[in-house]
Parts: sequence; C-alpha cells; structure tokens
Amino acid sequence: MNSRALTVLALRATAVGYVVCLILLPLVVLGHQAFLNGVGQFLDDITLPQAWSALVLTIEMALIATALNAVFGTLSAIVLVRYQFPGKWFLNSLVDLPFAIPTLVAGLMIAAIYGPTSFVGAWVERSAITILYEQPGIAFAMAFVTMPFTIRALQPVLMELEPEQEEAAYTLGAGPWTTFWKVTVPSVLPGLLTGVFLAFVRALGEFGSIVIVAGNIPMKTQVASVYVYGEIESYNPRGATSVSIAVLIVSFLALLLLERMTRPPGERFFITAARAESRTP
Amino acid sequence: MSTEAGAARRGLSMLLLVLLCMAAASRPGEAAEPRELILAIYSVPKEAYERSIIPSFQRYWRQRTGQEVRIRASYGASGAQARAIIGGFEADVAALSVEGDVEQIVKAAAISHDWRQTPHNGMVAASVVALGVRKGNPKGIKTWEDLARPGIQVLYPNPKTSGGAMWDIIAIYGAGLKQAERNASGKKVDQTAAAETAAGLLKRIQRNVKVMDKSGRESVTTFERGVGDVIVTYENELLPRIKSGRPYDIIVPAETVWIENPAAVIDRNADRHKVRDVAEAFVAFLHDKEAQTAFLNAGFRPIDQSQMTNARDRPAQLFTIHDLGGWDLVSAKLFGPKGLWTTAVEELARGK
Amino acid sequence: MRHFFILTVWLYFGVLLLGPILYLVLQTFGEGWTVFFSEITKPEAVHGFKLTALITGIVLVVNILLGTITALVLARQQFPGRTLLSGLIDLPFAVSPVIAGFMLILLFGPDTLLGTLFGAAGVKVLYALPAMVLATLFATFPFVVRELTPLLQTIGTESEEAARTLGASEWQVFTKVTLPAIRWGLVYGATLTVARSIGEFGAVLVVSGNILLLTQTATLHIYQSYVDFNYAGANAVALTLLATSFAILAVLEMARNRTTGRAAM
Repeated sequence: MNSRALTVLALRATAVGYVVCLILLPLVVLGHQAFLNGVGQFLDDITLPQAWSALVLTIEMALIATALNAVFGTLSAIVLVRYQFPGKWFLNSLVDLPFAIPTLVAGLMIAAIYGPTSFVGAWVERSAITILYEQPGIAFAMAFVTMPFTIRALQPVLMELEPEQEEAAYTLGAGPWTTFWKVTVPSVLPGLLTGVFLAFVRALGEFGSIVIVAGNIPMKTQVASVYVYGEIESYNPRGATSVSIAVLIVSFLALLLLERMTRPPGERFFITAARAESRTP
Repeated sequence: MSTEAGAARRGLSMLLLVLLCMAAASRPGEAAEPRELILAIYSVPKEAYERSIIPSFQRYWRQRTGQEVRIRASYGASGAQARAIIGGFEADVAALSVEGDVEQIVKAAAISHDWRQTPHNGMVAASVVALGVRKGNPKGIKTWEDLARPGIQVLYPNPKTSGGAMWDIIAIYGAGLKQAERNASGKKVDQTAAAETAAGLLKRIQRNVKVMDKSGRESVTTFERGVGDVIVTYENELLPRIKSGRPYDIIVPAETVWIENPAAVIDRNADRHKVRDVAEAFVAFLHDKEAQTAFLNAGFRPIDQSQMTNARDRPAQLFTIHDLGGWDLVSAKLFGPKGLWTTAVEELARGK
Repeated sequence: MRHFFILTVWLYFGVLLLGPILYLVLQTFGEGWTVFFSEITKPEAVHGFKLTALITGIVLVVNILLGTITALVLARQQFPGRTLLSGLIDLPFAVSPVIAGFMLILLFGPDTLLGTLFGAAGVKVLYALPAMVLATLFATFPFVVRELTPLLQTIGTESEEAARTLGASEWQVFTKVTLPAIRWGLVYGATLTVARSIGEFGAVLVVSGNILLLTQTATLHIYQSYVDFNYAGANAVALTLLATSFAILAVLEMARNRTTGRAAM
C-alpha cells in the first residue's frame, strides 16, 4: 500500500471517527433513551399537556418569526442589493451581527429595551402590544437570532440575477408586480427557501434569549427548549429526551422538505451533499 | 516516499499534540492542592455564604487545624443543583432549598449517611414565604385572596427547577386549607372539601402569574425590572433588598409556611476527594452560632423556633410541612403528574 | 415606493437590532466608566473571560484541524456511508443547545459505560472542562465543514493533480495548493466558530455545574451577575462580549469579501 492511499485512509478514518463520536453517538444515546419503553411511551410523553403545548407553541412562534424574517429579510436583501442610499454599507455590515452576539446577551438587550422600566418598553406597551414575557417576546427573540439567514441567502442570488431579465420583462409590457412574481421570485426561490428553512430550524432550538424574554409559564409561554431544561432539572430524563427527539424530528422533516423543494431532479439526499455535488464539475 | 511519510507523520503528531493539550487541560489541575471543598448551594443565600460564612469557616479551619482550605461554590436553582450532583457534579456539600432535593440525592446513593442526624434534623436555615409589593402597596395587597383578584400580576418561579417555587405553592395550598378551616368556623372540616378550596385558591392565583423564572433569584430580578404587582418568595430574599434601598414593601401573610433549608455532606464525593473531615466540619459549622448569625443578618429566621425573640413576629397561622403531611406526600399531591398545581396549569390553559 | 422600502428596512434593523444594542450601551455607560472597568476586572469576570478564551481556543484548533480533514474527505473521497456522513454534519445545527448538553449527561453520567470508564481513569468529564469543550465542539462543528466542503468542490482537483505530477508530497499539495485556495473560507468558518463558542450558553449551563472561579464562563458569569442583582456587572460583561462580536463581524466581512461566488452560511 503506498503512502498516498494510506493518507487517504487515515484522513477518512479520522473524519468518520470524529463525526461518529461527536455527533452520531450522542444522538443514538438520546434516541435509545427516548424509545427505551417503546413508541407508545414516547407518544404518551410528548402528548402530556405541558409537553405538547410547548411543542405546538415552539412551532407556532418559529413560524411567525420565520415569516417575519422572510418578508422583511427579502425586502432588506432587495434594498441592500438594488438601491443606493446613505448608510447602506452600515446596514450591510450589521447583517451578520446576530450570529456574533451571544444569545444570552441578545435576550438581556431585548429585555432591557422592551421591558417596562425603559421608556421604549413603556411606550410600546401603552400604544401597541406587550412584547416582553408574552408570546410576541418569544417570536421577537427568535426573529433576532435568525435575522441573517434570509438576507444572507438571498443577497448573492439577487446579485447574480441580471437586471436585464427584469428589464426585458418590462419592455415586453409586464408591470412591476408581474415582473416581480414572474421573473424575480422564481429565480430567487431556492435561495429564499434555504434561508427560511434554516432560520426555522434554528428558531426551534433557541434557548438563551428566550429564557430571558419569555414568561416561561407552562402551556402559555413555555417553549420546548425551556420545557426540556425544566424536565432535565427535575429528574425526568424521559420527558426531556422525548420532547428533544420530537423537536429533532420536526427539524429533520423541515430540512428534508427543504431538500425536496430545492434539489434539482436526480440529486442526492442531504443538503450539504446535494449542494456540494451540484458544484462538482 | 520519505517526504510523504514525513508529512503524514507531521500531521499525525500535530493531531496528537492537540489531543495531549486537551487531555492536559482536562486533568483536574488542582490535584496538587491538598484541601479543596466544593459546595453546591441554592441560589438565594449566595451573599450570606460568600460574604461571611465561607470566609469565617476558612478562618475557623485554619485556627483548628492550621490548614488552608480552598472553597469552590456553585449557586443555582435547588432542583438543578440536586440533578447535577446526581449526574456526577462532584460537590462535597449540598445546601439546598428543600429536603425533597436532598432525598433525591439519597435515592441516587450519593448520600449514604443519615443526614438528618444533626441538631435540627438536617436543617440549617429557616424562613417563611412572604409577599413583596411595590412601595406603599398601591394595590392594597394583604392576604392570599388579594393575589387572586382580577388584574393583579403575580410572580413566582417554576417549581420544576426552583425549590423556592415549591415553597411558594405549598404556602398557597396550606393557606387555602386554613381558609377552609376558618370557613367551617370551628366545626369539623371535611378533608376533600378543604383540599378543593385550597386547589381553587391555587388555581385562581396561578391564573394571575405573569412570569415563571428558573429560580427564586431570577424571579426577584424580574420583579425589579418592573414586572408584576406581587412577588411570592422567601422572606429572606426580600429583606436584604429592602435594606439596600429597593422601593418595595414586604408583607407576611397571616397564613404562611415555615421554610427549612437542609444541608448535607455528599458522602460519595467527600470520600473520593478525601475531604470528609472538612465537609463534616463545614456542615456542623452551619449549625453554629457564627453561621446562624450570618443567616440572621442575611434575612433568615433562626432555625431554632424557640429563639425567635427578635423583632420579626411569628405569623399568626404559621404551619410547617409536617402539618401538611410531610414532604413526600405534599410534593406528590401538588407537583405530581396529577398534582393540584399541574392540573391547575393544564385547566387554565384549556380556558376552564 | 423606493423611499418607503428603504425606510422599512431601516425600521426592521432599528427595532430588531440597533435599538437593543444602543440601549445596552447607553445603560452600561450610564453607570460610568469606573463602574464598567471595576466590573470587568473583578476576579470572577476575569476568570470567566479566561475560561471562555481557553474553551474557544481548544474548540478552534480542533475544528480547524478535524473540520478541514472532514471537509477534505467529504469533497475528495467516495466511499460507502459518505452521504450519511454529510447528512450528519448538518444535524448539530438542528439540535437545541440544551439538548446538546443533555446528551453529554446521558453519555457521561456516573451510571453509564463511558462515565464509569472515565471515572475509573480519574478524568472528570461532566461539570468540568472536557464536557464544556465537547458541548461547544458539538454546537460549532458544522461551521468549518459547511464552509469548506462546497469551496473544495468548486476549486476542483486539477491544480492538486498537477502539483502531484510535479512530484509534490501530499502535505505539500495541501499546504501549497489547497490551503491557499480555501484559506478565506477557513477564516470565515473559524470566525463563526469563535463567535458561537464565546456565546454558547444553554449547553454549557447544563454541563458546567457553574462553579465560581472554576467552571463559570463569561456568559455564565453574565447570567450569575444578572440573578445576583448586579445589573451593572451583567451589562459590563455583556458589552465586552458585544465588542468582541463587532470584531468578529469585521473579520467575517473581510472573509466574505475575499471568497466569491459562495452562498452565505
């Protein structure tokens, strides 16, 4: 065996071993624990009223946060790519910030400004809705931590999209809305979907910021990650694992759906693989 | 060939180096230090421990044995600390909020001695459940019934993680029982009817709860952010805050529960670290005058109820956990899967 | 219409991002510089920063080394199970940090096989540095790999083959040909790793034991200060981490501008 083949094998063994130990093993243990007493027990655990409503609330809030970011994120991406205006570079360089800010710090910041002791919070509460400790706070925190996904997924696609295509549509007599729906949307859709789904999955698991800004009342403002934390700390590993697995299943289904919606026909299964392979010459 | 093999070797040795670094970093570096005591303490008495009890114990130990003892303390919600100890957190001594949490550690076999064999049944500090309201009591809150009034916002933490919340809910439950007794005006009270009254009070108050934090500490923090009209918590949590000038008042309801907080040596860890003597001395020290004074200054009540001489009055209808049937019974009755609190939360969510 | 859009975008950024940040800054410096400095130089805070730096350092080295290897294997090798491997890469992203910490407890608890093994060897895993490093590794694992795999496939293998024909060793091929081509992608992934490591809270909360001056990281210290009513302390350390976030952001920007034709994240 020559040394090149040896290197190849050594590298492969390292990579596989590392991923198996770091990621697969813990997941297997988690799954084993959750299904220790059979699927029926698992279903019983996740349909306990508090567990179930935490799951439903998490999904609802993540959907709202994702929808919010999909709309405003798309708008931001378009504005940041197409328009010239004062402060553009500033906004553009801020986009990644939520990835760089510790989520606990994000929670503290949101709680500080939108809490009743700040003038902003008092004003918002009087004139519109209570954000902090109620459901809007959860969606807000989720929107904060997932803000960059849509914008960052759309920007490169929009830059590549030739303005000529849109102009051609105009010259052919299409109005701005028709052009938007018929030309712009289809070409940015895969990028948009990727951003949106990744944001959704990320929002499902958020903990650090939500634990600060939500009321955490069971069946009212308690999300799945906070429920899991409570179960871990009150000697109920089974309840914790079951809900963890349920969240994972939802995330996984979302990623799978994304895969189906964005992959060109005939491509492989998982995102990274598919995305990577689509680039292989 | 040789260069390639060399490259592979270099790569491998680099990897090895990193792994070695990790292993070196992960080895408990304090092995050389002869005496180190790790404490797991619930979140509330942090100041009492950090400012007076720990330093004076270190002084005491130095005088007695000539040894320096380094103390590492961790502060967190009582249930979380117990869970961590069961899960392998190598604390030598646990000072928790509720005896139920210590019993969980006993069940996991990390405590093997009879931890109640001490002057006060294993308890080191005492308090009562009290109400904190905004300065001047603008909402006119005096009794538990006032907490159930529409529009009042109440705070207490989540009993899943917080021992303090368990005490709070037990106080409400016990007050409900007392209420039923009063309503019966001297006649014999029907047990089921009394439990129903108590459950009703609990549910009506739970309806007004605005935020449930992870620990008693965070609950006060939330209150200080301006959220809520009333906070239900330990009296000793409120007193120091008022002393430090925070604008709120404290109300001790006529019916409330006598809180006792346990401390115990974790045999498994103390033996493994060979610090049993220090750990036992520390727990004994908590019962002594110096530590008791520190607790008193931090807003606790004396563990010896007969010594309750100073200004703070004994609430008129004080009850203990034993009056309600003991810890196991009460925690199952309130916090079990079909417990009163659990069902109250579920029914409220269904809009009943 | 155009002005309306621009205004909306400013509002979106303002409400979600700028407002909270500015308010934290104002609040912290409302207390004055002296308070800020005395808070961030407290022994607990300094220890928190050091511990966070240590964890981040270890995680960074491991991720750069093993992350690059994994990306190379994924991009350059075909073998059975490769698809599964690449699917696993994305998973940490979908796992809540609390759950990540919890999995370590299930794996290394005192009654488990691994827990007993390490216990017998006298190595503390849970409630000590190793568990905190493992939890952070788990959370940050995808960043480098996800950056590098597509990049490696885009650049193809022609130059590498050419170098090999010219007699370069594998190590030379990697350092002279591959690495220069992927270095900004590596920087980008590594920077995201750093950001996530510094900010990790949920997983570390579950596995650290939160022992003062021993296993309390900077974020745990913020949390501890917050529950100890030391708002000035919590704000000061939070602001310091925020400043770090801005530095990280600058590196991200630079790295992003150097890598072209690559989808973000």
